[in-house]
Amino acid sequence: MHTVEVTNIRKSFGPNLAVAEVSFAVEKGEIFGMLGPNGAGKTTSIRIMLDIFKPDRGHISVFGGDLNEQKKNNIGYLPEERGLYKDIKLEQVLIYLATLKGLDETTARRRLDKWLDRFDLTAHRRKKVQELSKGMQQKAQIIATLLHDPDLIVMDEPFAGLDPVNARLVKDILEDLRRAGKSIIMSTHRMYQVEALCNRIVLINEGHSVLYGQVDEIKHNFAGNAVVLEGKGDFSQLPGVIDDRRQNGEVHLTLAPGADPQAIFHTLAQRENTSIDRFQIAEPSFEDIFIAVVQEGKEEPSYG
Amino acid sequence: MAKLWLVAKHEYFKRVQKRSFLLATFGLPLLITLSMAIAGLAIGSSLHKSIGYVDQAGIMAGMLGQSGGDNDFLAYPDEVSARAALEEGTIQAYYILPADYLHSRNLELYYWDEQPGRHVMEDFDQLLRTQLSDDLPESVRHRIMEGWYLKIIAADGSRSFDERTGFVSIMMPFIASMLFFFAVMAASGYLLQAVTDEKENRTVEILATSLTPGQLMSGKAIGLLAVALTQIAAWAISIAVALVIAAQIFEPLQGFQVPWGYFGIILLFFVPSYALAAGIMISIGSIVTDMQQGQQMASVVNMLFLAPMFVSTLMLSNPDSPILVAMTLFPTTALLTISLRWSMAVVPFWQLSLSWLLLVAASAVAIWASGRLFRMGMLRYGQRLNLRNILAAIRQSTTGFDVHEMKGQPDA
Repeated sequence: MHTVEVTNIRKSFGPNLAVAEVSFAVEKGEIFGMLGPNGAGKTTSIRIMLDIFKPDRGHISVFGGDLNEQKKNNIGYLPEERGLYKDIKLEQVLIYLATLKGLDETTARRRLDKWLDRFDLTAHRRKKVQELSKGMQQKAQIIATLLHDPDLIVMDEPFAGLDPVNARLVKDILEDLRRAGKSIIMSTHRMYQVEALCNRIVLINEGHSVLYGQVDEIKHNFAGNAVVLEGKGDFSQLPGVIDDRRQNGEVHLTLAPGADPQAIFHTLAQRENTSIDRFQIAEPSFEDIFIAVVQEGKEEPSYG
Repeated sequence: MAKLWLVAKHEYFKRVQKRSFLLATFGLPLLITLSMAIAGLAIGSSLHKSIGYVDQAGIMAGMLGQSGGDNDFLAYPDEVSARAALEEGTIQAYYILPADYLHSRNLELYYWDEQPGRHVMEDFDQLLRTQLSDDLPESVRHRIMEGWYLKIIAADGSRSFDERTGFVSIMMPFIASMLFFFAVMAASGYLLQAVTDEKENRTVEILATSLTPGQLMSGKAIGLLAVALTQIAAWAISIAVALVIAAQIFEPLQGFQVPWGYFGIILLFFVPSYALAAGIMISIGSIVTDMQQGQQMASVVNMLFLAPMFVSTLMLSNPDSPILVAMTLFPTTALLTISLRWSMAVVPFWQLSLSWLLLVAASAVAIWASGRLFRMGMLRYGQRLNLRNILAAIRQSTTGFDVHEMKGQPDA
C-alpha cells in the first residue's frame, strides 16, 4: 500500500489552471522530492493532497483511502506560508498545536523536552514567539510538524531560513525519520538537497508532472546530457546547449535532450581562438536536469 | 478533549491573560467607582455652605437660625446686607422672597461664583413648605410634605412600576443593557481579531490540516463567549457589591428588587445576538486582509447594533412608537431596544417572540455564510475578496476547507 497516491489531479481557479495533470505515489520509508519552478503547481498539489482544496478531477488516496479527521492527526505539515502565534510563549504554542493533532498534553510535554533540546531551543521555551529570531522560529515550526510523531510528513521548503549548521541538523533528522519508516514529502528548490536526500522525485512544470521516478535512475537516463570542459575561448551559444556556466575553472554545459556531445566537440574544435584542454561527458547534476527539463518545457512527460 | 474545546480553551486563556482584557474588565468598574467617589466628594464639598435669604414677604419669621437638611440658612434683614455677606464669602448664595411671594410664587436666587446645587434648592423648598404649612394638623402637613407614592401597573398585570424604586428600576436595565451590549461587541471584536490573526500569522494552513472549519470557528466563538461572560460576571459582581453598599446610604435602593424577568429576556436575546455579531465579524475577518481593514468595516457594523442609543430620547417620550417597534424586530437592534424599552413600557409578547425568531434566523444565516466565507478567505493572503467572490462562496455547496469555485487564484 502506498502512503500517498495522487492520480491525475486537476485544479483551476477561475480562468487560471493551477494543476493540469499531476500523478505520483509516495512509499513508506522514503523521502520523496517535489520539484518544479515557482508557480508550477507544487503547493496547490500539496494542498489538494491534504484536503485543503478539492480537485476538479482526479483521485487522492492517503494511508489507503480518503483522508479523514483521524488520518489528518497522522500527518505533519510544514506549509510554505508559515507562522506561529506571535504573542504566545513558544512552549504553549507547540503544545497547543500538538494537542490539536490528538496528542495528550502530558505526552506532548515529554516529547517537547527532547525536541527543544535537539534544536537547542530549551533556553527559549518560555519566550514569546515574536521574541525569537527567524531561524529559531523556523526550527520551532519544524518541531510543530514533528511533535505528534506523524507517519506522513509534508514539508514545503524545509531548509528555508536555516543556516548551514541547522540545515545539516534538519537533514539528519529527516534521514532518521526515513530510517524509522516515515514517509516524507519534501518540496524544495535546493537541488543538492534533493540529490543528497531523496529516494524518488516528481518534477512538476506548468501544472504537469514531467519527470517522475528514482533519483539514480533519472540521473542515469540523463547521462550524456552534460559536458564538463576546460580550455580557453568562447564556449557560449553552442547549438544543442541550453545552459553554460563557469564553475571552479571548469565550464559546465547542459545539453538539450537528444543533443550529441560529439557534434558539440566538433563545433568547438572548429571555432577560432578556442582551445580545449579537457572534454568530458559527465553525469548531470540535478540542477542540470532541472534546467534541461524546465527549459525544454514542451518535452513529453517522462516516467522512469 | 474534543478539538473544539481545545480551541475554545486556547482562545479563552489567550484573551483573559492579556493586559487589555484585565484593564477593560476590572478597570471599568474601578473607573465608575472612582467617578462616583469623586462626584460624592464634589457634592460633599458643596454641602454645609451657608445660604442666605431676605424675607420681604414676612413668612419665615419663626425660622431664623434654623437649618434645612444639610444646609444652614441665614436670614438677612435686607438685600444690601445679604449681598455684602455674599461678597465677603460668608454665604454661597442668597434668596429674595419678595413681598408678593404668596401671590406671585416668584423667588430670586443670587450667587457669585458657584451656583447652589439641586440638593440645596430642594432643602430650601422643604424649609419654605414646612413654614407655610405650619398651622395645619401634623398628619395633613406630613402628607403634603411627603407627596404620593405612585405605582403604575400594566392592565394585564405583567409589569408594574413603583416610583419609590422607579429611578433605580429605569437605570438598572439601562446599565445592564449597556453591559450586555459592550460584552457582545467586545466578544465579536475579539472574534474579528481571532480570524484575522491566523491569516496574518499564517497558522491557518496548519490548523486546516488539524481540524474542520466548523470545529475551529465554533471553538473560537465559544471561547470568546466565555470571555464576554467572564467580563459580564466581573461587572455584575462589582455592580451588586456597589448596590449593597449604596443601599446603606441611599434610601430608594433599599426597596430595589432584582428584575429577574428582565434578565431572563435579555439572556434569551443575548446568545443569538452574540451569534449574529460573531457571524458578521467572522465574515469580515475572512473578507479582509488585515486587522486594520477589518476594524474599519466592523465600526460600520457596530453602528447597526448601537442605533437604539441614538433614539434614547424617544424611548423616554414614546416607548411604543413605530420606529422603536421596528427596531425591536430588526435583528441587530433587538437586544438593545428591548432592553431599553423594558423599563419604560410593556413590550408586547408578539413583538418579543417575533423579534426573537427573526434574530435567531438572522444569526443562523450569518453563521452559515461566515463558515463559507471563512473557507474561501483563509488562504487569500494579502488579497481582499470582492463581491463576486463573496457571492460565489455563499452559493457553493462543497465541504471541508474547499475553495473550489473561487474566482482568482490563491497564493501558489
